[in-house]
Amino acid sequence: MASYTFKGGIHIPNPYPVKEPEVRQVAPPEQAVLLLQQRVGGEASPCVKIGDRVLTGQVIAKTTSKYPTHVHASVSGVISAIEKRPIPHPSGIEAMCIVIDSDGKDEWIEIEKCDKDFSRCTPEKVIQRIREAGIVGMGGAGFPTHAKISNAQGTHTLIVNATECEPGIMCDDALMQHYPREVIRGAEVLMHACGAKKAIIAIEDDKQEACNSLLMYNFNDQIDVVQIPTKYTSGAEKLLIKTLLDIEIPAGEFASDHGVLCQNIGTVKAIYDAVIDNKPLISRIVTVTGSAVQEPRNYEARLGTSFAAVVAQSNPNNNPHHIRMGGMMMGIDVPNVEHSICKITNCIFVNNVIPAPEVQSCIRCGQCNTVCPVGLLPQQLFWYAKSENTDRAMDYNLGACIECRCCDVVCPSHIPLAQYFFFAKALHHKRTVDQQRTDMARERFEFKEFRIERNKKERAEMMAKKKEELKKKMAQDKTQKDKIAQAAARVKNKESSER
Amino acid sequence: MIAAFNSTSQIMRQVIVALILGIGAAYTFFGWGIIVQIVLAVLVAIVVEAGFLKIRKHPIKPSIADGSAVLTGFLLAISIPSIAPWWVIVVGVSFAIIFGKQLYGGLGNNPFNPAMLGYAFLLISYPLQMTTWAGEFVNFSQALDVIFNLNPVDALSGATRLDDVKTQLALGKMMSELNAHSNAQAWINMGFLLGGLYLLARRVIFWHIPSAFLLGIAVSAFLLSIGGSEYYLPVQNHLMLGGTMLGAFFIATDPVTASTTPKGRLIYGFLMGVLVVVIRSFGGYPDGVAFAVLLMNIMVPLIDYYTQPKVFGK
Repeated sequence: MASYTFKGGIHIPNPYPVKEPEVRQVAPPEQAVLLLQQRVGGEASPCVKIGDRVLTGQVIAKTTSKYPTHVHASVSGVISAIEKRPIPHPSGIEAMCIVIDSDGKDEWIEIEKCDKDFSRCTPEKVIQRIREAGIVGMGGAGFPTHAKISNAQGTHTLIVNATECEPGIMCDDALMQHYPREVIRGAEVLMHACGAKKAIIAIEDDKQEACNSLLMYNFNDQIDVVQIPTKYTSGAEKLLIKTLLDIEIPAGEFASDHGVLCQNIGTVKAIYDAVIDNKPLISRIVTVTGSAVQEPRNYEARLGTSFAAVVAQSNPNNNPHHIRMGGMMMGIDVPNVEHSICKITNCIFVNNVIPAPEVQSCIRCGQCNTVCPVGLLPQQLFWYAKSENTDRAMDYNLGACIECRCCDVVCPSHIPLAQYFFFAKALHHKRTVDQQRTDMARERFEFKEFRIERNKKERAEMMAKKKEELKKKMAQDKTQKDKIAQAAARVKNKESSER
Repeated sequence: MIAAFNSTSQIMRQVIVALILGIGAAYTFFGWGIIVQIVLAVLVAIVVEAGFLKIRKHPIKPSIADGSAVLTGFLLAISIPSIAPWWVIVVGVSFAIIFGKQLYGGLGNNPFNPAMLGYAFLLISYPLQMTTWAGEFVNFSQALDVIFNLNPVDALSGATRLDDVKTQLALGKMMSELNAHSNAQAWINMGFLLGGLYLLARRVIFWHIPSAFLLGIAVSAFLLSIGGSEYYLPVQNHLMLGGTMLGAFFIATDPVTASTTPKGRLIYGFLMGVLVVVIRSFGGYPDGVAFAVLLMNIMVPLIDYYTQPKVFGK
C-alpha cells in the first residue's frame, strides 16, 4: 500500500507567501526573444527570414529529428533578428534566438477547427498534435512531452505532478485554481494518449484551495486527486511514484519501464490547449517572488517576454538583485533580468544580495543523511568528493544523488555539498570516458603490436616456405641439369664412339 | 533565505550551555575547583589552537569561532579531578588540541575524540594527580591554593566512589558490605542527563548513541550482576557513577568521531557501553568511558562502511 510519504526531505514553508495566488495577465511584449535551443536534441532550424511578418502561433522554427519541438511566434510582428543571445544558464552561455518586433496587434494565425472529441483521434494523432504544439515538460526539466508519451505506451497509471514542492513557486497552485476544468480535461487527453486506465493528480497538502477547485471539476472516477504531505523533493518523479504507488524504480530504469507516466500539471494544461483548442504553447504562468520584490505574484506571460518586464510589475526595490530562475533549491542563478521567459521558466526569484555564510569544516553531524531523500550519506560522499576519490564515492552510491540540495540546507557548516557531488559526478564521468579511451588506445596498440608480430611471423613462414620451394626447385633443376648433362655426355660418348 | 537550522558554532554553543547543570552540580558538591579548571582549560585551548593554526598558516578566527576548541577545554576540565595541579590541565588540553585535532588537519578530520585522547594521555602519564579527587566543598581561595601549588591541601582530597569500590573489592570485600551510592555523583550525572535531554530536544544530538550507550551499560552490568552480585556493581550504580551521563550525551555523541549512520550509531553506542562496564569491572582503571570512547573511535570507519542505509532504487 502506498505510504503517501517518503523518508528524508525537508519541510520549508513558502518564504514569501501570498494570500491568494492570483494570475495577472501580462500584455504581449514589444519584443519577443524566442529560444531555439531545447533540452535535448539540438536546435530547431528557423523557417523564417529577417523582415518576414509572422502571426501569433505561427511556426517559425522547425525540426525533423525525434526530440526537439517546433518553435512558434508568441506575438505577431516582424522578425528583426536571428542571432545568438544569452540564455538562462548559470554559465551565461549564448544560443540562437529568433527576435520578433511586435506590431502590437497580436494577430493570430487561423486556427484550424479541430475535433473537440479527442477520443475519436488515435493516440498517435494526439501525440502528433502535442508535438506540433511545441510542448515540453513545464516543471523545469523541459523534456519533450511527445517523446515521453511515445516512450510510455502500455502505461497503467498516469501521475499528474502538481506537488510543486520547491518552496516559493506558486505557478502550479495558481494554474489549478484558474484552470481546473482544463487540467482535468488535459489529464483525460493524456490518459487517452498513453492508454492509462487510472490517473492520480498529486498535490501537496498546503494547497487546499487548488485541491478543492480540482475536486469541483473532477467528474471522472478514473482520476483521483490525492494530497500528500508538504515536504520538499516530494515532486521528484521516482520519489513521487514511490509515494503514490509504492513502486520503487531501480536505478538506471525509467518510470515508463514500470507502466507509469509522470507529467507536470502545467504540461497537462498545455496539452489541453494543444489538443482541444489546437493552440500551440506560446505562454505560461510564471511566479515572481523573492526578498527584493514587494508583491510576489503569478503572471501569465507570452514566451519571449523579458524577465525585466514581469519583475517590474512586482515592485522590486532598488538594491542590487540576485536573480534566480526556477526554484530556490534546484533553480539556476542568472546574471541579470536581461533574459526572456522560456517554456521552463516557472519562477523568477529576485533576492536582495546577501553575503553567503562562511563555510566551516564538516563535523560529520549527520544531519544531511537524515534529510537525504534517496538515503545517501552525504558526509561520506563529501569526504571522497573533496579528495577526488571518485571510485570510493561511487561505492557510496554517488550516482543515486538527485542534487536536490536538502543536505546543503541543513548543513550546519554551510558546505555546498550538492556542488561537490555535481563536480564529483562530472569528474567520475570524465575519468570513465578517459579510462575507456585509454583502454581503447591500449587495445589498439596491443593489437597493432600483435599484428606486426603476426605479419612478421607470417612473412617469415612464407619466406621459409618459398625458400623450401626454391630449394626443391633448385634440387629438381639440378637433377634436370644432371639429366641434361648425362644426356649430353651420352650424346658425346655416342658421337665419339661413332667417330 | 531558508529557515535557520543550527550552524556549527551554534551546535558547539548549545553543547556548552547544556553542560551547565552538570557543572553546577559538581560546583555544589566540590566547590570552585571545577570553575578554575574550566577557565584555565578554555584559555589554554584558545591560545594553543590559535598558535597552531598560525604555524599551519590557516585562518585563525573562523576556527576559534566555531567553538570546538572551547568545547574540548570544557569537556577535559570537567573530566579531570577538580583539584589537579594547573599544569595537568595545561598539558592535557594542549595535547588534546595539538595531537588530538590539529595534527590530523583540524576540526572534522580527527579520528579520536580530542578531549578523551587528552584525558587518556593524562591518566596514563600522571596517575596520581588524575585520581586525587576533591573530597569536600572547596572554596575559591582553597581552589587557587591547591591548583596553583601555593599551599598543598591534602586534607581536601578523596577518592571517587568507583575508585573506592574497586579498591575495596580488590581487598576482598563483598558488594553487600559496600556503599556504592554517592549522592554527589548521582546529582552530577543527573545534571548531565538533563543537559543531554536538552540537546536531544534541540536536535543537536540524535537519540541513537546515548540510548544505545546506556542500554549497553545496563545490559552488560545486569548480566554481570546476575553472575555475581557480590563482585560487581549493580546496574543503577553503573548508570549514576563516574562519567556515564557525561559520556552518553556529551562525549560519545561527538559527531566528528562517532559513527554517522543510524544503524551504525546504535552499534557504536551499545558496544561502547559494554566496553565501559568491562573496563570498570575487569580493567586496571576505576572508570572506562575515555578508553571505551577511544576504542570505539577506531571502529567507526568499519561500522560506517557496513551499516550504510539502503539507497533508493538500489
